[in-house]
Amino acid sequence: MPPVNGTFCVTVMKDRCINARMPGKCAACVEVCPYEVFAIDGAGTVRVQNYNACVGCRICAEFCPEDAIRINPAESEFLVRSPWTFPQVEEIHHKAQTGQYMLRGFGTMGYAPSFDNITVVPSQIASPAPRDKYREECNLEVVIGEETCENPIRLRYPFLFPAMSFGAVSREARMALSIGAAQTGIINNTGEGGLLRDETWLIKGYENEERTLKRWQPGGYLVVQWSTGRWGVSADYVRAGDGVEVKIGQGAKPGMGGHLLGAKVTAEIAAVRGIPVGSDALSPCRYYDVQDLEDMKRMVAFLRDVTDYKVPIFFKLGPSRPYADVRACVEAGADAISIDGLVGGTGASPAIVTQGVGIPTVALIPPSVQALKDMGVHRRVKLFVLGGMRDGLDAYKAMAMGADGVGFGAAAEIAMGCRACMACHSGRCPYGITSQDPELRARLDPEEAGDRLANFIKATAEELKILTMLSGHDDIKDLSEEDLRAMDLNTAAITGLKLIGYERRLPWWEVGQ
Amino acid sequence: MSLVVDARGRDLRSVSTELKGAVAKGPVVIQEAAHLHGLAAGFRSGEVIVEGDSGDYLGVLNDGATIRVKENAGRYLADNMTRGTVIVEGDAGYGVGAYCYGGTIVVRGNAGDFTAVMNKGATIIVVGDVGDEVATYMLAGDLVIVGNAGQNLGNYLIRGHIYIGGKWESLGHNTLLAEMTQADLAKLRGYFDEYGIEADPTTFKKIVRLSEKPFYK
Repeated sequence: MPPVNGTFCVTVMKDRCINARMPGKCAACVEVCPYEVFAIDGAGTVRVQNYNACVGCRICAEFCPEDAIRINPAESEFLVRSPWTFPQVEEIHHKAQTGQYMLRGFGTMGYAPSFDNITVVPSQIASPAPRDKYREECNLEVVIGEETCENPIRLRYPFLFPAMSFGAVSREARMALSIGAAQTGIINNTGEGGLLRDETWLIKGYENEERTLKRWQPGGYLVVQWSTGRWGVSADYVRAGDGVEVKIGQGAKPGMGGHLLGAKVTAEIAAVRGIPVGSDALSPCRYYDVQDLEDMKRMVAFLRDVTDYKVPIFFKLGPSRPYADVRACVEAGADAISIDGLVGGTGASPAIVTQGVGIPTVALIPPSVQALKDMGVHRRVKLFVLGGMRDGLDAYKAMAMGADGVGFGAAAEIAMGCRACMACHSGRCPYGITSQDPELRARLDPEEAGDRLANFIKATAEELKILTMLSGHDDIKDLSEEDLRAMDLNTAAITGLKLIGYERRLPWWEVGQ
Repeated sequence: MSLVVDARGRDLRSVSTELKGAVAKGPVVIQEAAHLHGLAAGFRSGEVIVEGDSGDYLGVLNDGATIRVKENAGRYLADNMTRGTVIVEGDAGYGVGAYCYGGTIVVRGNAGDFTAVMNKGATIIVVGDVGDEVATYMLAGDLVIVGNAGQNLGNYLIRGHIYIGGKWESLGHNTLLAEMTQADLAKLRGYFDEYGIEADPTTFKKIVRLSEKPFYK
């Protein structure tokens, strides 16, 4: 059952609609809507059969050749009925009828503390002069594993595409992510669904397996994930990566594992994951070969040994107790840590978990950074922040708060074409990004989507560069909390940033541990 | 004649570097290695003989080597192995053959809890007894237990076969006691002959999954 929303009004303008004028001639809206808002009857006439199912993604409007569809929010009803909103009532009915909870993809919706109430402080006369974006350079490079690895990762931009596994996303989406990373010199992470052979040469910018035709510069980095399900994992898999990520958790479902239903394990997915076709692929919530932090240290040690001490080891954390968790990752031997916030989550998850479990992204940063500082490894062990990151402004704020880089998961899917319809779990992604249906997958051209991803990353990097230079810096490593101000008390209390007007930290503030 | 590597007082990187070079030349005997965890990780070929006990994660990601332990092995023996053979003359700890995709593990003594957890294709033979939650979430491969098993044997079994010669304290969710076929008997005879195990296949019982959908109770 789709998530019943009831907060949008769907209007089809009959004078424009081709089908209204010529029944049977067009049904684009019926074909693309993942929630069956539209239906076609025996006479070939399209009608709106379920207004309440609309989630406001506006995919129908995008595909309508005559611009005949309007989707408008209906917030007033939503607000006056709270807490017994239409979606809440329908969700209870759904559980009462089926005995099953709701699933959903695409992360937390609605309000959560965010970067929005933080403002950037530009440089004027009392601080180092602004840098000239046109004539002067600005260093955005981040190096991971410089002191520990033979082959450190040198990111051209401080960005990565976080783990989105084959199975959760389509083959075409995986290829696009690698092409996008290859064009921008950033990381693409395999996720836990195994490694597509094509990715190993696409990520380096080659358009053929023989690696004779280099098409995309400068080439990116592939990080292979080591997780609790260990799908498709072998010594060769581990060695194929430019880095290895030990997954502890993720924003969409911290404290939970993953579960690819047997019905979705096609021949291609089965081959990559190394399991029988149709077999359930359960990723447990914890490792069955780790019982404590000492085991985790040993795991990192043998991963370094298998890779001949050449590549960095990453850790991926869900949003829990950032200070203690980050400390544990450092003790275990991490070269880099990705911490994913409540808002994050490209993966399908129980709706109550994706909506209500974990710490908002912005609140994870101060304790994480403090943990790194307390251990004397801030800026040496790199911190990447994930979860709802949208643009160069979010990236700047996260990095001024002490992160070394950020990851774009949902934003990367949107860059490929996604309109956030939240149907990722259904397998009916209209853009072929999170679907394994050949017909839907055919809608996603990996090269075109890869180009779009590269454009998005380049534009976002430019935004980051503009902000860095207008605040008087020529290197992102020089950003600091002094470059930011909180715009309300709540944000000042969460982040420890100086409050606008007051120009000081809140007097009682200290970083949480 | 085998090469000998003395691991006494040395760290994993130092011993491993020497071991990687030595296995290409012939069988290698490694001594005093119980303090090293993750030894012989990801080897594609060669033969490693551990004199005495081994540490945890011995032969992790093994991809073709033969590894023998003269006495006892630690936890997570041959974790995530894809090919090769690992033989332990004594006991082995928790999580023997966890996450394995292939290869063969033989433990001549007892093995701990969560042996064969998430096994995806390996053959794992335990001549003694095994602990609790053995073969949990197993997806493929064979687990042969000549002795007895603890609680929740085969819990949430997805695919694969469990053969047991002794008794079990309890069976886990999604398990079914199935008829032994001639093919099963022949397979067990083959295992026992190959690894010199004295056991009568006709006394064994076979456990398979009950349902194709183990996650819906």
